[in-house]
Amino acid sequence: MEKLKRNMIVLRGQDNGRRSIFSLPGLFRWNRLIALLGAIAILLFFVYPVLKLVLLSFQGEQGLTLSHYNELLQQERFWSTLRNTVYIVIGSTVFSLVIGTALAWVVAYTDIRHKSALHMGIMLCFILPSYVLTLSWSSFTGSQSWLAHVLQWIHPDLAPWSMYSMGGIVFVMGIHHFPLVYMFTLDVLRKIPRDLEWAARAGGASRIEVFRRITLPLALPGLTAGGLLVFLASLDNFGIPAFLGTPVNISVLSTLIYEEIIGFGPSAFARGASLSVLLGAAAVIGSLLQWILLRKSHASDTMQPDLTPRYELGRMRKPLAFAIWAGLALITIIPLSSMISMSLKRAYGLGLTRANMTLDNYRYILFENERVWQAIQNSLVLSLVTMLACLIIGSGFAYIRVRKPNQFNKMAELATAVPYTLPGIVFALSMILVWMEPIPGWNPGIYGTMTILFIAYICRFLILQIRSSVTSFMQLDASMEEAARISGAGFWRKWTAVLLPLLLPGILTGGMLVFLTALTELTVSALLYSSGSQTIGVTIFSFEQAGDTLYSTALSSLIVALIAVGGVILLIAQRWATRKGVKS
Amino acid sequence: MSIQIQQVSKSFGSYQALHSINLTIEDGEFVAILGPSGCGKTTLLRILAGFEQPSSGNVLMDGKVVAGSGTLLPPEKRRIGMVFQSFALWPHMNVSEHVRFPIRTHKSTPSHIKNNEQNRIQEVLNMSGLSHLAERMPHELSGGQKQRVAIARAIAPQPSLLLMDEPLSSLDAMLRMDMRREIQQVHRNTKSAVVYVTHDQGEALAMADRIIVMKDGRIEQAGTPQEIYLRPETEFVARFVSKSNLVKGHWDADMFVPEGGTNIAWPGKQVANYFKSNGLYPVRPDQFHLQPSSQAGILGEIANIQFQGKEFHYDIRSDTKRWEVISPLPFGLNEQVSLSLSSVGGEGV
Repeated sequence: MEKLKRNMIVLRGQDNGRRSIFSLPGLFRWNRLIALLGAIAILLFFVYPVLKLVLLSFQGEQGLTLSHYNELLQQERFWSTLRNTVYIVIGSTVFSLVIGTALAWVVAYTDIRHKSALHMGIMLCFILPSYVLTLSWSSFTGSQSWLAHVLQWIHPDLAPWSMYSMGGIVFVMGIHHFPLVYMFTLDVLRKIPRDLEWAARAGGASRIEVFRRITLPLALPGLTAGGLLVFLASLDNFGIPAFLGTPVNISVLSTLIYEEIIGFGPSAFARGASLSVLLGAAAVIGSLLQWILLRKSHASDTMQPDLTPRYELGRMRKPLAFAIWAGLALITIIPLSSMISMSLKRAYGLGLTRANMTLDNYRYILFENERVWQAIQNSLVLSLVTMLACLIIGSGFAYIRVRKPNQFNKMAELATAVPYTLPGIVFALSMILVWMEPIPGWNPGIYGTMTILFIAYICRFLILQIRSSVTSFMQLDASMEEAARISGAGFWRKWTAVLLPLLLPGILTGGMLVFLTALTELTVSALLYSSGSQTIGVTIFSFEQAGDTLYSTALSSLIVALIAVGGVILLIAQRWATRKGVKS
Repeated sequence: MSIQIQQVSKSFGSYQALHSINLTIEDGEFVAILGPSGCGKTTLLRILAGFEQPSSGNVLMDGKVVAGSGTLLPPEKRRIGMVFQSFALWPHMNVSEHVRFPIRTHKSTPSHIKNNEQNRIQEVLNMSGLSHLAERMPHELSGGQKQRVAIARAIAPQPSLLLMDEPLSSLDAMLRMDMRREIQQVHRNTKSAVVYVTHDQGEALAMADRIIVMKDGRIEQAGTPQEIYLRPETEFVARFVSKSNLVKGHWDADMFVPEGGTNIAWPGKQVANYFKSNGLYPVRPDQFHLQPSSQAGILGEIANIQFQGKEFHYDIRSDTKRWEVISPLPFGLNEQVSLSLSSVGGEGV
């Protein structure tokens, strides 16, 4: 910050010295210097880690070798993990696609009521961190839960289905990811011109035929892209299989890499790296496919979404609304409250009566266990710093990207997307490899401290901010800015009086997204934390591994409260922005 | 402010938008730059504003170089106001805040305005008929009102040059006519030089003291509206500005004998040399005189009629050509007519 200020002063001083006429060669030199520094930073932070990871997976004692991959392919463990991964990813993707598409169709096309509330309810599953959802479901289906009591009351032999199984993992992953499909498909469906459907009706097609022969084919690119997004998210997910699979020996690629690295065997890093390259390659191929599909359907970008209903539900309206709301409550609210009630119990296994209720678990994690308090502080500081850094760097970059687009910018944006595209565990491993010894023989002491977490979080979440800032800048016509300059506004006045007030709601939404994602992050920090730099996610994970379910549910409930506070702040900010007339 | 544009060229990559333009704009002059889209008129305006750097050549304002090789005075340091095609109103400021912004922000605002900010805001709002809307936000205004705010904002700090980039193109036809009058009024009141970019020849003819017609990055013709309209110097200006028909024939000194005509010769003392050396005569649609086919002239058949109230727009087909003719006289479809030059407007018979 201090340095930035000093630079500004230097810039201004020069400006005055030249009697307020910019010297162009000077300007070009500055631009070139900034571009050069940017290029170096991007190579160092975004490209080098990936290269290093790939290199390590091929590195043997004598030069390049395929021995790590050979070794992998001969292990039974690898094949069973691969099988599990494929089943889980495909299963949860199909599950998400079905629920997501159905809900998207209902919200996009029918005249069901309270659509915006429904929208929020659907998004809730995705906003909750996956380990919170997991804990909710495992406590909801546990042998001591309400569900178990209800089932037992129906028939003594009935017991809830155990979440600690393949099916459980597929289910939780599916309900965590279906909002992704929903969001994608909703937009696509709304952009299909209603005339096309009318034309088909006029041509004699029935409603079902219209859906099969017009709506579905038109929505297919968007649907497939949504499906691929879920595929990527499922490959990336670490929390759900780590919480539900590890206790019963079901591993997937992301948890296997974690176990390899944590296990610290003789060639742990090399084996982890080759597994990571395989997982990363799958993710990159998935992203490429998605990108190609989206480019194909780019034509619909200019289309205005059509928000008015196209199908009247008639008598079905109330029953359908009831079914959807009940379903949503069943998959989120009820398990969540089951988790919260668990965190209020005096001991695991007690029934929920007033006598058994206590706030002791909260008192313990907040005041008696220093590690938890430390973790909360760490997570808050980490996510605040990450948010601020991403706000400044990401918005600055987005501004240049939108106003002066060129090949270099485009490549830079692509590079910054890499850490988020790669599965978190893969990215975390590449961070370890780079920062343990950036130059062979030199250890700057970054690995094993908070610093590596700062670097990793900023690198990984920067693209989130860039995307949302780019959207904000694109919506702001360049003439707004030019009108300010013509009116005599220099750099600061232009930004403070015109650009920032107009862009702030959009940019802050991006910042809030970065903040919440960083606050609840588990995967990257699980691999990068060390004693003293543990995060909230890691602490919940360790409680769960140690069997301290009461503490893990209490901390998770706290996280839910924090997210709710964040959400309310965001809503207030948006309201305030709308009232100022910014949005209209 | 007097402005000199000397040998200004501008290229974007391999595309050359302007080819060494020379132009002088006098203090207080209303200059319209007229041309079809892609002719470089907006680029020229943006160079005047300071948003673009010329690839070569200089721009001088009051004798001082503001853009040239190696120097570029940024827009915020030039004493200019600008009205944008899209109005460019800031959605988070109300009408009077829009007017206040440049008064407060612009360093070169005269001190008597800066010190009496509130009076000046009132004055400008009155001048633009916005006093009763001072507290409105942009989204609460109609198109014409938005336009007035954009103009009020541009003139508030008394700039010595006012740039207008197709300011009427996003308004509907009726409103456009009213706004022409208001822009003229603003020009009379402020006495600042105006550079007005448009592709609508009607706007340019109606308001400008001088019109610069541009095509493909070059100036085709510059002159007063009457000169441009009545005495075009190139084929493009004849077609684009006055929608003229180009009649083929041959010149005999100052007399023109059209092809396919019977026993006629048209006087053309003031027709530009270009047409004379190419055997052409530019005839505006209203310049044709329609007569029954028994009369002498170019013979043709009426192919289409559009009634416009005070006149008819005819499409007339002769052997190989089609003519556009505007005439108050009624004729029927497929009727045979004879075309001759009438004495209306400038050139006498």
